[in-house]
Amino acid sequence: MASTNAEIVTVSTVSASARGLRPWRLALPYLLILPTFLFIFTFTLWPTVSAVIQSTIKPGPTVHSPDKNVGLQNYLDLLDPETDIGQAFPRVLFNTLIFVGVTVPVSIVLAFTLALMLNRKMRAMGFFRFAFFYPVLMPLISAGSIFAFIYADNIGLANVVIHSFGFRTHPWLGDPFWTPIAVMIVALWKQTGFYMIIYLAALQTLPGDVYEAADLDGATVWHKIRRITIPLLSGTTLFVLVSAAANAFQMVDMLYALGEGVPNDKSNLLLYFIFQRFKNRTDIGYINAITVILLVILLTFTVFNLTFLERRTHYEN
Amino acid sequence: MKTSGTMRRTGSPWPARIATTILFTVALIWLIPLIWTVLMSVRPPDESLITLDKNGVTTINIFFGSRLSPENFQAAFAVVNWAQEYLTTLIFVFGVLAVQLVTITLAAYAFARMQFYGKGVLFGLILIQLMIPSSVLIIPNFATIHGLGLYDTKLALMLPYFGSAFGTFLLRQTFKQVPLDLEDAARIDGCNWFGILRHVYVPSSIPTLTAFALVSISAHWNEFLWPLMITQNDTNRPLTVGLGQLQRTSENGALYGQIAAGVLIVTATLLVLFMIFQRQFINSFLRSGLK
Repeated sequence: MASTNAEIVTVSTVSASARGLRPWRLALPYLLILPTFLFIFTFTLWPTVSAVIQSTIKPGPTVHSPDKNVGLQNYLDLLDPETDIGQAFPRVLFNTLIFVGVTVPVSIVLAFTLALMLNRKMRAMGFFRFAFFYPVLMPLISAGSIFAFIYADNIGLANVVIHSFGFRTHPWLGDPFWTPIAVMIVALWKQTGFYMIIYLAALQTLPGDVYEAADLDGATVWHKIRRITIPLLSGTTLFVLVSAAANAFQMVDMLYALGEGVPNDKSNLLLYFIFQRFKNRTDIGYINAITVILLVILLTFTVFNLTFLERRTHYEN
Repeated sequence: MKTSGTMRRTGSPWPARIATTILFTVALIWLIPLIWTVLMSVRPPDESLITLDKNGVTTINIFFGSRLSPENFQAAFAVVNWAQEYLTTLIFVFGVLAVQLVTITLAAYAFARMQFYGKGVLFGLILIQLMIPSSVLIIPNFATIHGLGLYDTKLALMLPYFGSAFGTFLLRQTFKQVPLDLEDAARIDGCNWFGILRHVYVPSSIPTLTAFALVSISAHWNEFLWPLMITQNDTNRPLTVGLGQLQRTSENGALYGQIAAGVLIVTATLLVLFMIFQRQFINSFLRSGLK
């Protein structure tokens, strides 16, 4: 339906412009696109290219000395434990991959489970929606601030709860083992509600008759979830998974608030690492190289996303 | 609307009851940070919520302490000029939105309803922004802003967001659904392209524009690293950066009450709007897919 519509559009506009053929008519579409294109070129396309170029540069020892082109040396330095940056970078990259690799699947499973339980007529629906979704609308920096006092050593809620259950308390921030976990909890709390809402909407489009047929066959709740719901939602899951992963690489603001406790680079994340070093002139080649690495990771994820999106829109049409 | 639902047909009410119990428990855990923040912000600064004495005995003194106290808010206001930063946030958020609404409407119309050479390539180039969020490009963008001589200006905050691939894409999809008959009728009535856009396309795309606006506002209200990098003067810093400043100045004293007050100042607007327009917010985020 939509595609036939599009064809009609094409035909009619082509003939309209052919009839007119005034330069103004020909230039109009370009003029309409110009503002968007100009801004996206300046702040997305060009910077991407510029990051690649800058990643091959080593700044001279003083502001006035010329930069040196060092090819791929900056990338090699990042992995070389002999260099200053090479001591930190692999650890930060590793942290980031763990952060994404843990928070994304856990928040998706949690979101899916909550959505399953919420998918019925409930009077408290508004309450649940608020409770799970409000963190999505909070700045990450606020989330960090709140959790900074939840994680506080003696008066923090986290340790008090642990203590009251009779477990040994531990420092949440500052400890190389617990800090990454603390950071991941903030991300889980912040994002799960968003994915839950997406699952909930998807659940409501599932065909009821399939479940009725399953009921007639005497299927259990667990069976219906495993054999019907999960397969039917596989598209949603893939979409959420890939987008959530791409999103997780950008979730770093909370580190600023949790900062005092985050031991240097032991639990740092890539984007924050870049931010911390942007004022060191001598690191400029390195942070551009890290930007390029981050871009490559993101592109890999989102190319999957877009190919999938493309397929999904085809189905809808 | 079809409501199917795995849970609806569970026969016995027991699974449903268990599910409700679990939901309430998890919801409560999710709400604790907010409740905690509110409680901490309004109690006297010297009365902590929890005291852990030498013998390891914990006393939790929830609720409002001995009295309701405005002191934390007063202290937060002494450190940060919130009124100024609130204004900057408003200018930032609505400045971005105003420009975006114009740029995406124009571009979406061209991509939805016009035929021109290089259309596919140009659309593809614009969509690259969907894959590369500007938050990752802070380093090269910082250099660009510096090169333009715009460091520490409100314009610098906004510029990277003026063009929106996401908005263009979303609106193009909506424009494509508008019946061509309407456009033809308007043309016969003597409308030029701008008249058609204004009287046909924009009015029939209000839900999409609203959804985009809510998502855009929420995203930029919460922006932190970029404003922190690109501004220096307090007059150019939004609320989130104010909270960061508060966090840094009170680090040693661990003035949690004061930080809690700051958190509420920064987040209250969106949270209250969300309480009132819950459905609109959630539908907007859904409509916009993931952003």
